[in-house]
Amino acid sequence: MVLWYWSGGLSDTVVKNAKARYDSSVDLQAIQIGGQYRSKLITTITGKAHIPDIAGLKGEDMAAYLPNADQFIDLRTLGAEKYKDQYLPWKWDQGFADDGTMVGFPIDCGPVAHFYQFDIFRKAGLPYEPADVSKELNTWENFFAAGEQLRKRIPGTMLLTDVNSVFENVVQQGSKRYVDKDRHFIGDQEHVRNAWALAVEAKRRGIVSDLVNGTPDQLSAKQDGKLPSELGASWAAFDIKNGVPKTKGRYRVADMPVRPANNGGSFLSVTKACREPEQAFEIITWILNAANQAQGYVDAGLFPSTPASYPLKQMQEPDPFFGGQVTTDIFGPAAQKIVVAYNSPFDIALGQPLKDEIKNVGVLGKDPKKAWSDAMSKCRRIAKHLGVSY
Amino acid sequence: MAVLEQTPPAVVRPSPSQPKKGLRKYWHLYAAISPFYLIFLGFGLFPVGFSLYLSFHRWDGLGSMEWAGLSQYQYLLSDSDFWNSIGNTIIIWALATFPMIFLAMVTAVMLNSAVRFKGLYRVAYFLPNVTSVVAIAIVFGSIFSTNAGMVNAVLHAVGIDQVAWLNTPWGIKVTIAALMTWQWTGYNAIIFLAGLQTVPGELYEAARMDGAGPFQTFFRITLPLLRPTLLFVLVVSTVTGLQSFSEPQVLLQTSSNDSTFAGGPGHSGQTMVLYFFQQTFDNNDFGYGAAVAWGIFLVVVLFSIINWRLVQRRGD
Amino acid sequence: MSSIKGSSIKGSRRRGIALHLPLIIGTLISAFPFYWAVIMSTHSSTEIFSYPPKLLPGTHFLENVRNLFDAIDFFGSMWNSFLVAVSVTFLVLLFDSLAAFVFAKFEFPGKGLLFGLLMVIFMVPAQLSVIPQFVLMAKIGWIGSMTALIVPAAANAFGIFWMRQYMKTAIHDELLDASKLDGANFLRQYWHVALPVVRPGLAFLGIFTFMGQWNDFAWPLISLTNPNNVTLQVALSQLNGTHGTTDYGIVMTGALLALIPLLIVFAIGAKQIIGDLAKGAVRG
Repeated sequence: MVLWYWSGGLSDTVVKNAKARYDSSVDLQAIQIGGQYRSKLITTITGKAHIPDIAGLKGEDMAAYLPNADQFIDLRTLGAEKYKDQYLPWKWDQGFADDGTMVGFPIDCGPVAHFYQFDIFRKAGLPYEPADVSKELNTWENFFAAGEQLRKRIPGTMLLTDVNSVFENVVQQGSKRYVDKDRHFIGDQEHVRNAWALAVEAKRRGIVSDLVNGTPDQLSAKQDGKLPSELGASWAAFDIKNGVPKTKGRYRVADMPVRPANNGGSFLSVTKACREPEQAFEIITWILNAANQAQGYVDAGLFPSTPASYPLKQMQEPDPFFGGQVTTDIFGPAAQKIVVAYNSPFDIALGQPLKDEIKNVGVLGKDPKKAWSDAMSKCRRIAKHLGVSY
Repeated sequence: MAVLEQTPPAVVRPSPSQPKKGLRKYWHLYAAISPFYLIFLGFGLFPVGFSLYLSFHRWDGLGSMEWAGLSQYQYLLSDSDFWNSIGNTIIIWALATFPMIFLAMVTAVMLNSAVRFKGLYRVAYFLPNVTSVVAIAIVFGSIFSTNAGMVNAVLHAVGIDQVAWLNTPWGIKVTIAALMTWQWTGYNAIIFLAGLQTVPGELYEAARMDGAGPFQTFFRITLPLLRPTLLFVLVVSTVTGLQSFSEPQVLLQTSSNDSTFAGGPGHSGQTMVLYFFQQTFDNNDFGYGAAVAWGIFLVVVLFSIINWRLVQRRGD
Repeated sequence: MSSIKGSSIKGSRRRGIALHLPLIIGTLISAFPFYWAVIMSTHSSTEIFSYPPKLLPGTHFLENVRNLFDAIDFFGSMWNSFLVAVSVTFLVLLFDSLAAFVFAKFEFPGKGLLFGLLMVIFMVPAQLSVIPQFVLMAKIGWIGSMTALIVPAAANAFGIFWMRQYMKTAIHDELLDASKLDGANFLRQYWHVALPVVRPGLAFLGIFTFMGQWNDFAWPLISLTNPNNVTLQVALSQLNGTHGTTDYGIVMTGALLALIPLLIVFAIGAKQIIGDLAKGAVRG
């Protein structure tokens, strides 16, 4: 039985335990897929061969999977209903396609917080204890101002890696994305314009670098303290711990400005190619029970979607990587405040031009007005191509 | 050997009547070419036809196909990213091919003159071609990295500011071109060298006796005689260069959740083939992908024709 | 061979340096990336992107190698690449030389049409077939297996053009006629007359095909959907993690180890390979 996930998508300990636990009935092969996961999974499904039995589905990609619900087994037919009240209702609903099929079983939620290197903040004369950072960097204005101070006091240091971080998080703080329930393009409306304006502002005030996220140069800058902040979901903790392990003890977590955004939070699914769906479902529900989800939080920063996990001891443990901070203190309340949004299947295609163009503004210094009009004309083209009304 | 008294068997005994036997006479020829043609028809010809058919439809590979008429091609013409990828491909090709041919020729001429160590040099120069292209692209990505790369370290030592090679539109193109040049110069130098070695020594003797200097000799004698080889190298470089995929893909992939076929900031390194893969496999847009592939075909054909014309004319 | 001998000894020495110096610089540039790969694979991930770049070896090589073998099935993927490259080379040499022989030396009905078809398809770039081949393979069930790489590649139009050209000039008609009088059938002619003469052309085509298959990346990347069964190039690109969790130590080590097999082949057969390349290119 083949399980596909990605690095940090599930706790490796839990996966190992699952393998051992079900060893007598199946040979559970858990494979980590690198690169762009969604593209690989969908290409494999289209290729009709070697399709995994259990497939992880990234939250931000759900829009691409839900219209293809017929490639997955409806989990309700396997008895999912009886687990419903163990999970956060809004998270549970996100795994459903428009026609009512249950495609994904909840793994984690993605409450976004502010990860920062406290020693750099202290050196720059900024508040550095989590409570102070949460209190004082509570608006975008204050956040940007802190970035300017950081750059002045420690030249060569930038608050954030790229403007996309600002843009996407502001959009994800709200309840609307790029296409609404009626297949109408809403990417030119207030909520997106506002996010765009803030991102442009961030660039203008010089608080973002011109490095590209995910490159060796960016990682070394983080390690050297030149990029001390990032706005990331709970699962981003795993990426930090693995990408820049030498920063252990230097990071803390605080609230992000205004209110928490929701970024990601994934699901497990059973594909139509699976020949033992009941067994697969049993494995899924075990991996994603409250106790194992708490373990997932400890190992990979996967904030549980099972409220029963929250009082468990593991959630209250101080995390040595974050200097002994109990990170649940931040993520717990944040998860409560998440605003649920409608994810249209066309969000990915129609959000891409905006993300590309704002990146051009940030990395290449493109004129923001031209970038916006280029993005809009690209969106118009794509909308027409996909049958979304503009 | 051949003994004429013996009547040779089957071949020289035509059957007068049946025309059916005509084709059957050739069965062994058809049989000989059939392995090739069977595969060719199945995996070469049929796909091309199907691709054309597909380009007039909308399809995501999973559901059903819908007729789309010419709309995919209209979409293609209005796609600024497609035009961008054409520009990128041609610029990168030019940045790589001209220096590469120049260096290869110069190297070949020098190797021709060097009596000692020639074998060693040939091995050393061929080395870049004997590698895994993905591995080399990974290594080059590291050499050209902004903070920790060798190139910037050298620039720094000479007092020049560091360049964000993989982060700026021109930096990206130059890096990809540098990789391609590095890989192919030695290979082509050896091909040129072989061409040079067919030039009869007497021609050079005669030229020297006429008082020709090294440059004159090169341009009047060597170059014209190298033309067939030059043509060969140019054609192969064009065909492979216009279809470059591995080098830009590996150099510009990041470990974030972005597309692996995006080609860096501003899609500056996105070649035509990279663009094709992005549209087809990231967006699952098979109909559009087919149209893109035909667009690439047209560009390659046009470009090859222009290329051919130019080189022909220069010769006359 | 032209050798530019100077009149005076001093002139010739200066010319010698002027000649050898650029050649040596070129050699260093050719060799440097290999050196870099060696050095980088001995450092840990974090040391790799520190400034200034380290030029001397570190101590992490064995650790990197161990992690590399944990992360991917390195030798398995190398074996797959080797299997594919050898199979395709063998099939191409066989099928193409057979067909080229026919086109070069024989007449038969439909010859013009069949050959013309080849020319047309030769102009068409590979991408045109990618989607249909993918769909076709999905139907036959070859996606994810090496068969999907081997079979389509066996029909290489370039090989036919190359060998036909070669055979036209290299195989003398008199030899063929003589062998016919001796009673040789088609296969005998092919095996005993044609093949021996065109060996340099075959060698060139073989090397060209092998290297091309070894380095093939785009199609395998798409069609090898079973992560446990990939070729070397795809395995290397799999080392790229997500969300910044890439371990560059193992990436560089993987790159280094991937460079080695061809280098070994090259070390054994360098003279032969370069010689064949040169001979083949000139004739063609």
